[in-house]
Amino acid sequence: MHISEGVLSPGVLIVGASLTAAGVAVGLRKLDHEEIPSMGILSAAFFVASLVHVPIGPSSVHLILNGLLGLMLGWKAFPAILVGLALQGLLFQFGGITTLGVNTLNMALPAVICYYLFGWGLRIGTRHLVFTVTAFACGLCAVLVSGVLVGFSLYFTGEAFLPAAKVVVAAHLPVMVIEGVLTAACVLFLRRVKSELLEGQYVPKSSS
Amino acid sequence: MCRNRHRSPRGTRTRRCIIDLLLPAIWLVLCVTPAWAHKVMIFGWVEGDTVYTESKFSGGKKAKNCTVVVYDKEGNQLLEGKTDEQGEFSFKVPKKTDLKIVLKASMGHMAEWVIPADEITADGPISEERSTPDVGLQVATKEGSPSVETKTSGELPAPAAVGMSRQEVKALIDESLDRKLAPILNMLVDSLDRGPRVSEVIGGIGYIFGLVGVALYFANRRRKK
Repeated sequence: MHISEGVLSPGVLIVGASLTAAGVAVGLRKLDHEEIPSMGILSAAFFVASLVHVPIGPSSVHLILNGLLGLMLGWKAFPAILVGLALQGLLFQFGGITTLGVNTLNMALPAVICYYLFGWGLRIGTRHLVFTVTAFACGLCAVLVSGVLVGFSLYFTGEAFLPAAKVVVAAHLPVMVIEGVLTAACVLFLRRVKSELLEGQYVPKSSS
Repeated sequence: MCRNRHRSPRGTRTRRCIIDLLLPAIWLVLCVTPAWAHKVMIFGWVEGDTVYTESKFSGGKKAKNCTVVVYDKEGNQLLEGKTDEQGEFSFKVPKKTDLKIVLKASMGHMAEWVIPADEITADGPISEERSTPDVGLQVATKEGSPSVETKTSGELPAPAAVGMSRQEVKALIDESLDRKLAPILNMLVDSLDRGPRVSEVIGGIGYIFGLVGVALYFANRRRKK
């Protein structure tokens, strides 16, 4: 998922960076000071998740957890993912500094999209099944959309879209399923143990 | 903080227990998995007149069927090829120049390796002006024994059989050196392959928590005002 330096054309890099800047601005605007710690924890989870290597499939891929971040944070996933990716780039040499904008966009935009697509499941999810299924779908779709976005990034640089996207999505099929399961498990766990973490996003606060 | 429990009381306790146990277990398993990650790298070295490259994803997975492009110092493309099933690709030295070998793996992964011109020895005429009589003699005598070993011990037998041209001697030395250096090269490849260290992981998490602290500090200050 991390696009290396020197692959993309400058145009794609600039567009990605500016869209990311906009996303981060929206995220920070929505940020309530009470949510800073949970955002930090999720950012750390995202940072570490990339170290979990999934040895299935044609290439080597790792967890992304952007579905979980989207579900928990909404637009605030943008700054959280930006921080995680910047540190991954600096410390692990994943991706790169010039591609930081595009990579953040590729991972955070699906998070936000999935938040709007599947957030309702958590909001009205009084039923256990609805809750679980939407969380699973959110984790799965976030990675899928990320793959498609990576395909688009490569396409705008001159690669053929379909083969590029196909390779990315195919490589991430096992990850999608794992992410879906993990997202559902995490959200279920949080609802039981720390339901107030979900309330920030899904239950209107009684006191503010 | 109200905790909404939406399910019937029956089975809740056991299910809750299972999940409470399962999640830490999952995290444990994930943490124990070796810290591998997603990066692609290429490593190249010269043996004789051939450049060998090895490409892999960090985590040890070979980068199969990936495009390798070789550029010279000025950025002109010299040749292009694909890695085989072992992630290896080799080519004859096209010309004596700095070679920039770029690996283009799928999914926007790219890596490069530069071989400086002075590492390329075989291409071009072997320099005749370089007089190396001592080495020549030593290797020539060693060549008499079946095992070619570059022992640099003190005993230097009287040079009996010389009768070898510089070229042959050079070829022998190169061959022997290549064999001797192969393990070291492999070690280098492996050391390049090191995944993120624990210190880096913990450092990253520390950075994030530090940022949280800074953000909270400013948020609190703003609230107090």
